[in-house]
Formats: sequence, structure tokens, C-alpha cells
Amino acid sequence: MQRRSETRLAELVIREAAARDLKDASALVVRMKRLNGEFDPLFKVVDDVSEKAEKYLRGSIGAADRLVLVAVIDGKVMAVLRAEIRERVFYSPSKEGVITDFYILPEARRKNAGKDIITAASKKLRNMGAEMIVAEFPAQNEIAVRFYTKRGFRAFVDTFAIED
Amino acid sequence: MGTENGSDESSRKALEYSAYYGGKIEVVPKVPVRSLDDFAIWYTPGVAAVARAIEKDPDLSFEYTNRWNTVAVLTDGSRVLGLGDIGPEASMPVMEGKALIYKYLGGVDAVPIPVRASSEDEFVRIAQSLEPALGGINLEDIASPKCFGVLEKLRASMKIPVWHDDEQGTAGVTLAALYNALELTGRDIKDSKIVLFGSGAANIATANLLIKAHAVAGDIILVDRKGTLHAEREDMDQLLLKNRWKYEMALKTNASRVSGGLRDALKDADVLVAAATPGPDVIKKEDIAVMSRNAIAFLLSNPVPEMWPDEAKRAGAAVVATGRSDFPNQVNNSVLFPALFRGALDVRATTISDTMVIAASKELAKFSMDKGLTETNIIPNMLDWEVFPKVAAAIGEKAQGEGLARKSVGRAELVAKAEATMKRARSLSSLLIQKGIIQPPPEYLAAEK
Repeated sequence: MQRRSETRLAELVIREAAARDLKDASALVVRMKRLNGEFDPLFKVVDDVSEKAEKYLRGSIGAADRLVLVAVIDGKVMAVLRAEIRERVFYSPSKEGVITDFYILPEARRKNAGKDIITAASKKLRNMGAEMIVAEFPAQNEIAVRFYTKRGFRAFVDTFAIED
Repeated sequence: MGTENGSDESSRKALEYSAYYGGKIEVVPKVPVRSLDDFAIWYTPGVAAVARAIEKDPDLSFEYTNRWNTVAVLTDGSRVLGLGDIGPEASMPVMEGKALIYKYLGGVDAVPIPVRASSEDEFVRIAQSLEPALGGINLEDIASPKCFGVLEKLRASMKIPVWHDDEQGTAGVTLAALYNALELTGRDIKDSKIVLFGSGAANIATANLLIKAHAVAGDIILVDRKGTLHAEREDMDQLLLKNRWKYEMALKTNASRVSGGLRDALKDADVLVAAATPGPDVIKKEDIAVMSRNAIAFLLSNPVPEMWPDEAKRAGAAVVATGRSDFPNQVNNSVLFPALFRGALDVRATTISDTMVIAASKELAKFSMDKGLTETNIIPNMLDWEVFPKVAAAIGEKAQGEGLARKSVGRAELVAKAEATMKRARSLSSLLIQKGIIQPPPEYLAAEK
């Protein structure tokens, strides 16, 4: 496994997140959670979303079945991706690498950073045992639908919700 | 840029005169009807030959009908003056007023068309369906950011000029005034730090036009209610979803990522263009004081500018413009749109490009410069009749130069034709008044109350 390797793509450095990235990476996760709320009120963020995001990432960085990547330009964290390995007890392939969170700052978009980060993450997740890569995001997020569809992903699980 | 709240007296007169005259415009024949026999020419059976000719070549509709001179003033009434979403019916008097100015200053036959459209796409489809009848479309008083999408889609899909006066008109006149203000204060647009206060349709369009006119995008800062606009702002994702034009502007302007409010943006700025919210006291003298020496301040909100011009001068501004006619340097779309469409129609332009607008801005600026630039004379006003044919010719020439014209016409002919058409419109109006066909308002209405 190349879990500590760095991939340099032009001025963009994609690497696994370290403790020193926690604050910046958490801020990006919060932005992403807030963006989810723009698509669907069921994703309205809680008041202490910042604390929760930091705790969430702290528990993921370095964990054997989780992956947190950051993309850095000139020392600034411009993107974060969090993913986890999940068992598929009843199905084959039996292990999936699930991208649960992925956010790129606006100024780093449209420079192929998204494609490069997904490629790097897919490679690392496969090294961690994933036989398929899955991305989770709100159903209403058409930007994500376009992004993943363009990269060969297809709709795979539908989740329906109803409020009390 | 009209005033949304006139004085009580002008409001009363507007109401009573509107009722008395039953609106502001009407359709008048321009062919001789000497007897009913003439209808055999102007209508059936003769007209069938004209219809058949146009069927074979639809472009002949510009030759055989008044299409060549017809512009729709099209709105959904979703953001009328400062009155908000008052609906299409209520927007009609404003659209009639626009049509009146089109005819009086530009000789353009403008038809007010407020429409009921429930969505951006429905409005776009309605506009597209009107193309066969029109030489151009003036979009008016459409809410932001819907107006950006409408303009973008119509410009891309139609073969006649589509113009949104609240965006492009304001931007074009602002640029004209700015050229001269920069000249007066010894500045170059390429080296100027420009702050746009307010980030609605007018200022986003102005920022775009300034960049096309060689202002450095990174040296422009837009400021809205949340502060300076920049790529790192927390609400960028909301902007991406709700106003991608503003989002794009955040990405390309404010390269130094100045954060904070208006005063932070204005530090050492050369130019302020405020189209934010009616004042006074929206901008403080302390804001102007942090700008560079001999700063330029355009305070364009109506009916009251963001700060009074004399106060801006006392605070250090060298050149001040407003949207009002009772102060020097009125930045008023009316000096641009009638002449601009005159030129576009006379060469049968297929669109109005940003570079055509810049050409018109330069022509307006040149006129004031030729008259003698002073800090109180940087932009022509509506009484400067001589400038309008020149602006029309500048538009016509640029359209031809860019391959956007269906007709080839030399500059001298463009000026002469525009002059003749504009003069005819004003003569018609004078003549109808002289002959008593258009009556002055009755004394019982005209008397001050």
C-alpha cells in the first residue's frame, strides 16, 4: 500500500490528510454539508456542525478502513475527500470504497482537480481492498450527478425519505 | 435609470395625464390612405403579393414591412424600477415610457409587451416566438439573476439584437462617463483599482464590460450586503447554485482577496461605482476619504444617490456622477439605448456585442471631450441631439466590422440616415402638437395643486 505517498499534479499536491490538516479540512467538510442543505432541507446542518466535522475527520484520519485525502496548493488545503471501506455481506463484489464527502474550493475547480482527486482516491481505496467505488451525495445534487456520470459512474442505490 | 418615487406633484400629474390621454403611445399609419381604394394596395388583394415575396425570402420582411424599425420592450414585470415584482400589467406604463423615449430620441418604433410568464424558460420561449415580427428586443425590468439567464439564452438563440437595458445600458453609459473621468484625473483604465458597490444586474454587467474594456479583472472589487466579493467567501456554493454570474465574478475579480466591507474595498481605490441602494448616507465621507487622491465616485442609485455629490467632493472625490438630472454628470441610459438601437436596426444587426457597446461608450465620451471636458461635463445629456446619430453610426460601423450586420452602410450614410429618422420622429411629435392633434394637458390638470 502506498498510503503515505504524495501525487504531484502541476501545482496541486494530493496527499493523505494529517493531523495538521484537521482544521482546514474540517472547514471544507462543513462547506460541503452546508452545500447539501442547499439541495434538500433534510440536509439542514446542525448548529455545532464545525465541532462535529472535526471529530468526524479526526476519527477517520489514519483509520485502517477510512481514507482522508487533501489537495493542497502552495500549502493551502483546497479540497478534501473522505471515504470508507464497507463490506457487502450478501453481494459480490464484497467490498466497496464509498466516497462519503468530497469538496473542492471554488477557486480550485475547473482545473481537473476533481478528476485527479477521484483518480487518486480510487487507487488508494482499491489498495485498501475495495473492488468497486461508490459516491454518496444528496439525490438533488445535480452538480454531483453530472460530475460522477462524466467519470463513468452510474446510479446504483436509491434512498427515499419521508418526514414525520 | 428612472426615479421610482417622483415628487407628489409629478405623481399626481402622471396619474391624471395617463388617464386623460389613455396611455402614451399609439400606432399611426405612415402610408397615404387617400381613399378606401388604397386598401387594395395596403391590404387585400395587393398585400398577398408582398406576403408571397416574403414567404420566398423571409429577410424581405425587413424591406417590405416595418419590421426593420420595430423593437419589443419586453418584460415580465418582475423587477420594475424600485417597485419590485409588480406584475406585467403594472409594468405597462413604464414600458410605454420606454417606447416613448425610443421613438422620440431614436426614431425607433418600440412596442411595449409585458408578458405573463411563470418561468425563465417560458419567458425565453415567448421572446423567441416574437422574432418574426421584430428587428430587436429590449428586455426591461426583469428580476436578477433571471435576467442574466434570459439574456444569455436569447443572445445565443436569436438572429436579432437582444438588449437588456438594466444591464448593458447602465454598463455602457457608466463606461462612457468613466472614460472621461479617468481622462480628467490622469488615469488609465488598465491601472485603475475599481470598486463596484452593489452586485445586482447593473454592476455585474458593468464589471463585465469594464473587463472587456481592458480593466484588470483582479483589480475590480464588487461589494454586496455581505461585504466584498471574492473566491473564498463562505456563500460561494450558494452563489454557484443561485447566481452563477455573480459566482463567476467572485472567481475572477478581487485577486488580492480583500475581505471586509465597503471601506476595506475602497482603500486606495481610484474609482467607485455605486449602484447599491438609495441614500443618502449609505456611503459615508469616511469611505470616500480612504480612496486614492482625486478619486472618481459614481453614485447612481435613484431617486437619491448613495451620498450627496457635494459631500463626496468634500470628502475628496474629484469627479462625481449620479443618476439624477438635477446634478451634473447624469449617468442616464436614455443617452445610449435609442441611438444604439437606431444604429443596430439601420445595419440590420444580428446581435449587439460587448465591443459594439464599448464603441458606443467611446463615441459618447468623445462627444463630451470635444465639447470640453470638465469635472461637471463628462457625459452627454438627453438634449445633446447631435451625439445620437454619431452613436448610431458607431454601432453600425462596429457591427459591420465584426460581421454582425446584414447590411453594408458607410459611416456618412449611417449618420445621415440616423439623423433623418430621429429628426422625423421629433418633427412628427412637434407637428401633431402644432396641429392640435395632440392637445396640451387641460389647465385643470396642469395647474399646480
